[in-house]
Amino acid sequence: MSEAALVGLFVATVQFATLVFLAALGELIAERAGVLNLGVEGMMAMGAVSGFMVGLETGSPWAAFFAAAAVGALVGGLHAMVSVVLGADQVVSGLALTIGGLGLAAYVGRNVVGERPETQFTDLGIAGLADIRWFGDIFFDQPPVVYLTVLLGLAVWFVLARTRLGLALRAVGESAPTTDAVGHSVMALRAGAVMVGGAFAGAAGSFLSLYMAPGWTEGMVAGRGWIAVALVIFGAWRPGRLALGALLFGFTLALQPRLQSFDIEFLGVQVNRISPALLGILPFVLTVVVLVIISWRYRHRPSPAPAALGLPYRREER
Amino acid sequence: MIRPILVRRDRVVPATQAVAFVVGIAAALALGLILLWTSGHNPAEVYERMFDSAFVGTDSLARTLERATPLALTGLAVAVAGSMGLWNIGAEGQMMAGATVATGVAMTADGLPGPLLIAVMVVAGVAGGMVLMLGPALARSHLGVSEIITTLMLVYVAIRVVEWLETGPWKDPASHGFAVIEPVPEQASLPGLFGRANVGTLIALGLLIVFSLAVSRTAWGYELRLSGSSPNTARYAGISLSRKVLTALLLSGGIAGLAGAVQLTGSATRLESGLSNGYGFAGIIVAALALMRPSGVAVAAVVFGGVQVGGQSIQTLGVSSAISDILQAMILFGALVAAVFFNYRVRWTGPAGESLVDEPEEADMAAEGA
Amino acid sequence: MASSGADYAVWLRGIEKQFPGVIACAGADLRVRPGTIHALLGENGAGKTTMVNVLAGVYRPDAGEVWVNGQQHQFQSPADAIAAGVGMVYQEFRLVPTLTVAENIVLGAAPGLLRTAEIVERVAELSAAYGMAADPTRPVWQLSMGERQRVEILKSLWRNASVLVMDEPTAVLTPGEAAELGSTLRAMAEEGRSVIYISHKLDQVVAFCDEATVLRQGKTAATVDNLQDVDLTKLAEMMVGTSGGGNVDRPPPRDRGPEVLSLQNIGSLNDRGLPALIDINMTVHSGEIVGIVGVSGNGQKELAEVITGLRRPTQGRVALKEQDVTGASPGDRYRLGLAYVPEDRLGVGLAPKMSVVDNAVVRSYKSQRRGLMLVMDRCVEFCQILVERFGVRVGRLNDPIAGLSGGNLQRLLLGRELAEQPAVLVAAQPTRGLDVQGVAAIQSHLVEQRANGVGVLLISEDLDELQALSDVLLVMYEGRVVGEYPPDVTPRSILGSAMAGNPPT
Repeated sequence: MSEAALVGLFVATVQFATLVFLAALGELIAERAGVLNLGVEGMMAMGAVSGFMVGLETGSPWAAFFAAAAVGALVGGLHAMVSVVLGADQVVSGLALTIGGLGLAAYVGRNVVGERPETQFTDLGIAGLADIRWFGDIFFDQPPVVYLTVLLGLAVWFVLARTRLGLALRAVGESAPTTDAVGHSVMALRAGAVMVGGAFAGAAGSFLSLYMAPGWTEGMVAGRGWIAVALVIFGAWRPGRLALGALLFGFTLALQPRLQSFDIEFLGVQVNRISPALLGILPFVLTVVVLVIISWRYRHRPSPAPAALGLPYRREER
Repeated sequence: MIRPILVRRDRVVPATQAVAFVVGIAAALALGLILLWTSGHNPAEVYERMFDSAFVGTDSLARTLERATPLALTGLAVAVAGSMGLWNIGAEGQMMAGATVATGVAMTADGLPGPLLIAVMVVAGVAGGMVLMLGPALARSHLGVSEIITTLMLVYVAIRVVEWLETGPWKDPASHGFAVIEPVPEQASLPGLFGRANVGTLIALGLLIVFSLAVSRTAWGYELRLSGSSPNTARYAGISLSRKVLTALLLSGGIAGLAGAVQLTGSATRLESGLSNGYGFAGIIVAALALMRPSGVAVAAVVFGGVQVGGQSIQTLGVSSAISDILQAMILFGALVAAVFFNYRVRWTGPAGESLVDEPEEADMAAEGA
Repeated sequence: MASSGADYAVWLRGIEKQFPGVIACAGADLRVRPGTIHALLGENGAGKTTMVNVLAGVYRPDAGEVWVNGQQHQFQSPADAIAAGVGMVYQEFRLVPTLTVAENIVLGAAPGLLRTAEIVERVAELSAAYGMAADPTRPVWQLSMGERQRVEILKSLWRNASVLVMDEPTAVLTPGEAAELGSTLRAMAEEGRSVIYISHKLDQVVAFCDEATVLRQGKTAATVDNLQDVDLTKLAEMMVGTSGGGNVDRPPPRDRGPEVLSLQNIGSLNDRGLPALIDINMTVHSGEIVGIVGVSGNGQKELAEVITGLRRPTQGRVALKEQDVTGASPGDRYRLGLAYVPEDRLGVGLAPKMSVVDNAVVRSYKSQRRGLMLVMDRCVEFCQILVERFGVRVGRLNDPIAGLSGGNLQRLLLGRELAEQPAVLVAAQPTRGLDVQGVAAIQSHLVEQRANGVGVLLISEDLDELQALSDVLLVMYEGRVVGEYPPDVTPRSILGSAMAGNPPT
């Protein structure tokens, strides 16, 4: 195995990690506010197609990126409307969002399949650092979305932990009546969280169609939305652990297409004989295992899962 | 400031869900109309083609039933868990697991005569679905781990395992290098009924009737409903909740696995990673629309089957079949919203003590006639 | 008498509020002077909760005026009421268990940027100023009920509430904690704040409060400007309209039958894994009512659950009719003759979304079977008999029970439990939340069962009820039985100190 291949693996790891982290960060915001949104896959598809189309139209990757975020927020808004404002079941609404979002993306993008974007994000060689051997390519010569995502991660952590808004979001995810009683608007907090979450998912989708696999094809999100949903649980609803999980999941995603080229032995297993499909199982199996461990470890105290996750709230007179 | 709030209705509007379903269909068609219109198609022509190809003539009906069968079975799978308040989000994966185990059995027992082989494959399918459900079911019944996420995660495990089997261990040597699994033995095909419909439809119908009776009319079903409606009361009545959770989830997984086996011996020719084709996820929507009632599952499955068939047919008019996914999702959203308004009414609240403008109660009376 | 609200901290004037099928308030008034502790009295259903919820912005009144500190308000939401200076402490605390004390206190009234150290310091200062010990950095789920109540009060003080409403505040407190609460509230009143104090415990009302308003059937029945001039019986009479006291004739004493329930050395943990029951020994004989006295949260819930098989004891032995049932399931115990009326009727005893029939056969559905099928006609017939015998007022038998009143739910539940003539009845708070009629009906059923030879374990917070019905009283404190008293000759003061953990020796 060559050094270049190894560096390439880690460069891709960072990019896949960015992809799933950005989407999962959005889902984390929604879930911390108490709303489960299983529509990430659909929101990412909508983001991917709309980002790509705006990119074709304007030639500006940034315009495309933000347009995708706006579309993601709109699509998330449908989930917010149905499950937060009207209080319908979040599981069903989210699944319908995925099915409908994938369908709508396919429909909207039917005429741009196979087209190539004229411009796309360019790697941001950070002066002085990009030339460092190995680390330069992996960490300091990535597209700007990677760095923006890191900043967004820090921002989400900061807002949740250190601001009035974050306190209200955490509270509404634990107990809506309590948060309502102190004068915060449960609907505004939750609907806002879902829409911001949708914006993150939409933006993540456009990172896919604008940079990682430039172009649009039906099914290009390929389950990464579900990985993002898994990642939130794997990260125990905390931004820091989410980042670590994203690197791990990103690594498995980056490794899958490259497995064949790694002619090495690891733990007595010939790596290039592992099926990429089986490697793809890893994030999902790990998530189930983590979920079981969490519920075991927290059996005598409140779980890190938001207590009101999935529960609709309606202020109701009796 | 005057603003709306939702107030629970004193009287529940009868036949709520059926009306909500119709409202959902209407909303979906309306949105589809806009989509088709704005992209230069003639909506009337498209809808007519969809309807004809799905519901007019025996061939059309047969195609719809062919699609409705896996939807009904996965819908039933979800509904069995749902009548206990549990969510099986993984029917898609259990369907694959069922088809996988059934294929494995067919490979080793391909000498058996047709009916026997099919029976064995169906049993294997049930077992396969149950095996995939075993982990989530145990985690839920004994550790209280939410089944929503665990069942969902295993969908991708099952699909990836089939991909792996396709490319490796079960790759058909006679496939000229294509990554496909060999077709199921010829004698293992469910007999046809008419057109493309096969006996699988009757299996689904039979199961729907059996479970409909079991849930509403047996002590077992009573225990299931009681456990779902009020777990603590069930415990107090001497029902072992963990055992109930376990059986409901395993049954749910088994039925979804059976859907896989029926699909494999029915309309599919071989096990492939696309075999489940979203039926498991659509089944969740079918069950939700049916409020977890088996009778409703049958109706919703036929409608969804028709929408899918219709979606395929309009490709000849140059319309993307993706329309059918959009319509399915919109039916659900429309019905969800409608159901909210059947259980709640909007009240416009003004300043305290003044002008509380109620939506007239006559609306309730009118709906009562429906 | 003032003609405007200017002289009052709170003036609720002519409040009317109607709910589907219920008139909660029919023109009630409430006037609270600044710097006083004002008792709001009344039976269950008299409209107390509705009145304070109008004040807290939770309910919008159909008619009437809300004045706070001399200004008229039209609250659209709880936030408006908070902004006007109203602080509410509900019976079920509105706290987020996973957040810290400080985070809970500032929630909704925090600066845009949270400087944790600064907030913690300010919360500590506030709690010190009112003599309420509370560690600002501890998560709330680790706190006792009394500590949580302090957090609730601090929450209102943090918002500088000028009016503090407390709904049944001492229900979760020991007498010692209750006295502490009394001095905290007094300190607040001396600063010029007003407190509205809702309680049933008249002795505390007289000890803590300056003035009182009595509500009856949604209207103001009486106002008392100086509580020191009024005696307890008078106050009680005002509340119920007739003379208070037991609703049921005291049953004549009788010889005890054989032992039907016994607990030996029972120990058990609560939901948080902490000891809830410690070395409990007790017996119930056929034909007697054993009353369990205690402030709620001292192990009564766990006691009922261990007896009925819903909670596993960590040690000891439970016997029913001299048969060891320690490991038996709740269903097995029922078949052996143990009936149970749980405290949380809608959560544990009944399934609110299921029909009257479905709820009626919870205990007996297995005997309504033919083969695998349930015979629906037999279920309906069983239900009808039950409904008639216990006077349950229901609409259609196939409607969900969620719409029934508390008294009818309790009749249905009690009737179902007694349908197959049990040997032992465990009744936890059987009359809580019922109207006078409902209370009387349930109490007379209990007395009737005693006469039929049933051994009754009556868990209640209502001392009147316990003293009127029981043959023997056991006092529970922090998971132990700390005293056994004859009900009729034991003075309240002795029971009171036993409930506080200091049984007189």
